[in-house]
Amino acid sequence: MGTHSSSTVVVGPRDRESFFEAQRRNRRATWRLSAVAVLATAVMGIPLALTITPLLYAAALIVADIVSIWMPLPPSFWQHANEIARYGMVAIGWLTQGKAANPQALALGAAVLLLPGAILSVALWLGVNALFRRAGVGGALLALKAREPNPSDLKELQLSDVVQEMAIAAGLPAPRIMLIDAPAANAAAIGTSLNDARIVVSRGLLEQLNRDELEGALAHLVASIGNGDLRIAFRVTSVFETCGLLVAIVNSPFGSRSRRTLWRIVRYGLAGKKDSEGSAAEAAAVAALLTRGTGLETDDIDNFFDTTSRKKSVLRSIRNFLFFPIFFTNMAIKLSLWFFSFSMLEPSMALLWRKRKYLADASAVQLTRNPDGLAEALRKLNSDHGPIPGGAWASHLFLVSPAESDRVNDPKANAAQQQMWVQMWAASEASEKGNSSTSASADLPSLMKEITATGSAAVAGDANAMARMMAFRQAAATALGKSVDEMPNLADIAAAQHGDKAALQHLMEFSNKMKANQPAASDSQKSSHNSSNFAGFFPSLKRRLKRLDRMGAHVELESDGGKSWIVIAVLAVCLGPFALVALALLLLLIGIMMLSSLAFLMVWMAFIHELFVVFLHH
Amino acid sequence: MSTTLIVICLIAAALLIWFIAVFNSLVALRVRVQNAWADIDVQLKRRHDLIPNLVGAVQGYMAHERSTLEAVTEARTKAVASSGGSVADRAQAESALTGALSNLFAVAEQYPQLRAVESVQLLQEQLTSTENRIAFARQFYNDEVMKFNTMQSTFPRNLFAGMFGFSPATMFAADDSERANVKVNV
Repeated sequence: MGTHSSSTVVVGPRDRESFFEAQRRNRRATWRLSAVAVLATAVMGIPLALTITPLLYAAALIVADIVSIWMPLPPSFWQHANEIARYGMVAIGWLTQGKAANPQALALGAAVLLLPGAILSVALWLGVNALFRRAGVGGALLALKAREPNPSDLKELQLSDVVQEMAIAAGLPAPRIMLIDAPAANAAAIGTSLNDARIVVSRGLLEQLNRDELEGALAHLVASIGNGDLRIAFRVTSVFETCGLLVAIVNSPFGSRSRRTLWRIVRYGLAGKKDSEGSAAEAAAVAALLTRGTGLETDDIDNFFDTTSRKKSVLRSIRNFLFFPIFFTNMAIKLSLWFFSFSMLEPSMALLWRKRKYLADASAVQLTRNPDGLAEALRKLNSDHGPIPGGAWASHLFLVSPAESDRVNDPKANAAQQQMWVQMWAASEASEKGNSSTSASADLPSLMKEITATGSAAVAGDANAMARMMAFRQAAATALGKSVDEMPNLADIAAAQHGDKAALQHLMEFSNKMKANQPAASDSQKSSHNSSNFAGFFPSLKRRLKRLDRMGAHVELESDGGKSWIVIAVLAVCLGPFALVALALLLLLIGIMMLSSLAFLMVWMAFIHELFVVFLHH
Repeated sequence: MSTTLIVICLIAAALLIWFIAVFNSLVALRVRVQNAWADIDVQLKRRHDLIPNLVGAVQGYMAHERSTLEAVTEARTKAVASSGGSVADRAQAESALTGALSNLFAVAEQYPQLRAVESVQLLQEQLTSTENRIAFARQFYNDEVMKFNTMQSTFPRNLFAGMFGFSPATMFAADDSERANVKVNV
């Protein structure tokens, strides 16, 4: 990535890299970045553990107090508790005021402060792993009405053939294929392991890619399964899910939404081993709820303290008073989770995942020995990737980054879209008299099939079908508010197939016009996308193509003359100091939050403990 | 004295572990090579099974191309008969079949009405896929052979690979008649 090589025109053979070498390089990088990700998680764990531990001690103390009502605990228990507290205070004193302490006491103090929280976090992580293991990754896609490819449809037969071929080339069992009738072109690999891996393909992908490109795209997915990416994806998501679970737990005293989430997780955990797709979908839904928690959302808390809307009652104020100290703990945990996952966890995971994408690309070239197929497929998919149903949660499993809006998954929007298609098709039927053989299908997939069938019959030369399609074109144009010229003309396609030069000319003009319109449309779409956790998990198209080019693909890479590096350097120099100050301020804020959480908890704890002592033991 | 003994024991144990690991990976690779070879067989068999369907489907449209169709049928019969024979015989019979098939497809290009028939398109796709599967199975076999042979022949594994009965496997090379094979386009 040196600036000198990209700014000058290279004459002669470019630097080549065999796909074996590329695979080795990316495998090594995976190891390095895994270590970095583990380290980042551990670093993030320190402030978390520091915040959670006092809460655990507080809970333990109250439990001990309650137990001692009926069954007085031996004095040695309280002595041990005192000792633990003293060691903790030594460490806190050293941390905040730089008080000298002997190393042994300091180490004990650190263990006292860190271990309970750390153990709880690890236990939660293990629990999340156990809970979601049988669902694997990408369960959200299972909830859609995906279907098996139909062997009597040429394109779909081709799809299952290509998957078989790639599995043979990789020496793997062939993964199951699931087709989604969505117009967007994309594909993903989901599942838990080699043996139950599935490949999800949208119908749009089949329409857009030819056989070579399809081969490249599916080789990427099969290679990714073979490289063990499903397991890595599972680990990556489980860390984020654990963070979400932690937030849900600390929020649960304040808000009903977090309690509902927790309750749903418990129910899912107790549901037992049902190997149905429904349970996988439920797992995905729960997981999606969890990731929503990692953001800095506080609506649960706002509702809790918002006393204006509801009647004040003594019970409520007592509850507010009791939970008030936990509020700071809650904020400290959420703030440090947000800060560290934003600054360390997500970037390291994203870099790791990018290396896996490059690795799968290189392995795909090994399988097909045709880097051009994959390069062309990537280029096509990147220029036209629409929303894919299944949610942002599985988005990093896709071949190219899917657009984030969950349009098709939204039942309301889905119904509206279906309604529109049905109406368009019915309108075309009404305007075209004499042909009432077919009634409009109720559901979208069969309607689509009907339309494509009529369309291909029309191109093949069926005059009735052609009339119907022309009427449909008219209806669609009025429904979408466009002029008829903006809709594809099947008559031209049919004529062009029989060698009509003028029709061919029309088609070329039409496709040029569409291309000219496209960037504007995608830009306006982009602004409406909500941000996703996994946006950074995809390497840019340019970099992927550059690597494929080095493996022998014939792609034209426009050189940016190294200008982007200059811009980045200037930006870094100008904004760097500000970013550093902001970083320091945030860290300071987290520290203050943690300390105030600790102080409030201690006061609260002492108060409650005194209450017990005064009222029960005199 | 005792420390040197411990060191020697540790080194011996490390060597033994390394030795076992190498031996096991060689065995695993050999199994993979054998599996890959068996996979080629499976795909060849699949092709044999598909051809009668294809010939039956196109017969009606290609009545004038009797000789082309007969050549395919005949090549298939020979290929099936050679399945039990030597590798060289099989390779020859299979490449003759590939040649006859590509000839058939070249001729079929001249019948546009044939290409429009959906069932023929589907069959053609299946056959294309079978040809690809044979090619990919071979590619996988060759990749595995390459790994296996590299593992055996690099120092220091080459010192004892031969002792335990590991010998280099042979690549599946495409002969000249197949290299000239035109790719079937659907």
